[in-house]
Amino acid sequence: MNDADQNESAALPRFEPTDEGVYSIETVVQITRTPRHQIAVYCRHGIIAPVIAPEREGWWFDHEAIRELRRIESLRVDYGLSVEGLRVVAELFREVERLREEVRTLRRS
Amino acid sequence: MPVEFRDYYATLGVAREATDDDIKRAYRKLARRYHPDVAKDKKNSEEKFKEINEANEVLSDPVKRKRYDELGAHWQDEGPGHPPPGWDGAGAREPHGGQAREFHFTGTGFSDFFEQFFGGGSRYGFGSGEHEFGAEGRAAGRRGADIEAEILVTLDEAMHGTMRALSLQAFDPRTGQAETHSFQVRIPAGAMEGRRIRVPGKGEPGDGGAPAGDLYLQVRFAAHPDFRARGADLYHDVDLAPWEAVLGTTVVAPSFEGAIKVRVPPATQQGAQMRVRGHGLPKGRSGERGDLYVVTNIQMPEQLSEKEKRLWEELSRTSQFKPPEHS
Repeated sequence: MNDADQNESAALPRFEPTDEGVYSIETVVQITRTPRHQIAVYCRHGIIAPVIAPEREGWWFDHEAIRELRRIESLRVDYGLSVEGLRVVAELFREVERLREEVRTLRRS
Repeated sequence: MPVEFRDYYATLGVAREATDDDIKRAYRKLARRYHPDVAKDKKNSEEKFKEINEANEVLSDPVKRKRYDELGAHWQDEGPGHPPPGWDGAGAREPHGGQAREFHFTGTGFSDFFEQFFGGGSRYGFGSGEHEFGAEGRAAGRRGADIEAEILVTLDEAMHGTMRALSLQAFDPRTGQAETHSFQVRIPAGAMEGRRIRVPGKGEPGDGGAPAGDLYLQVRFAAHPDFRARGADLYHDVDLAPWEAVLGTTVVAPSFEGAIKVRVPPATQQGAQMRVRGHGLPKGRSGERGDLYVVTNIQMPEQLSEKEKRLWEELSRTSQFKPPEHS
């Protein structure tokens, strides 16, 4: 980048990834506006997984879980899927992502 | 939104009938020449390097290449910027049957042309389903959908981290309004392929005063002329002559720390991998690194002189070797 670019870049808002953050369930309820019991149902059915932190009590969630939660909750509200249906869909999402990754890797060889 | 057609075949200097091998070779040759680390004219080579990477992204992927060929065939018919009928652009689709809002990105490492027709498999937003209820109990507004987009990152950028300036233009076909947001996103050192970087509030705007969704940038590695990446490990292919594999030799492999000598032991088999620890990509923040694997590829000579032919014939008479599957 030359000097002109630097100056312009300095004015733009910056976003830094916060990768190590975990959020308590109370915070997740606030961020995603999903009722606590609903989150518990999702966890019980293995749709989303909390981060296990042995030194801390309670459930903690990372960015990936929040993103998953938003997607799944929107499907529940918009399409009225049952919990079992949501579990299947969540599995399919993960499988599709995994397959995409594998295809990409294979294509590169 | 009129966009310029990109001639990817011309960029790589290959014919339209080029095979996958032709494309791979052409890409490697050009990528090495214009690679930011070695190019003499760094400023101009950066642009050229991006073009080469993008052309390779499309032409080395059979599905994308087919789409591209079809697109090219019809480009002149409808006029510039108009996709052929039945074409599904890469705009965001609203899942509730609402009219699709279009998102255009610049700064993701892809051109406008690529973004419009090949951008990211998952460029859709899911309505977040977060309904805000007013006092009357009716939905007062809905949070905007999250958008997912891909950002093309070179291995060097992943190695050292980088700051990327992005421009996101959201175009609402209902109102004809276009809104542009420019911002910078840091891609941290050690960002791995597939990692999602969340940019809060840059997704679809919310309805009725509700907050906007988030933008998720998924890191994609651009092909590199010397390495393939798998997680934090790097793979480098070396060609060997048959006698080098049989007798052993020393090869020079590139790495981010400069050239390294790797010993190929005698009786090396096809596809054998030599591991060089700690010369892969960073694994997150811990300072730990993945490994570099040097993968051997034994090549057979195609032309033989008379003398060589006699030596090979003598070898075939003298040698006790029989390949494992020989009956």
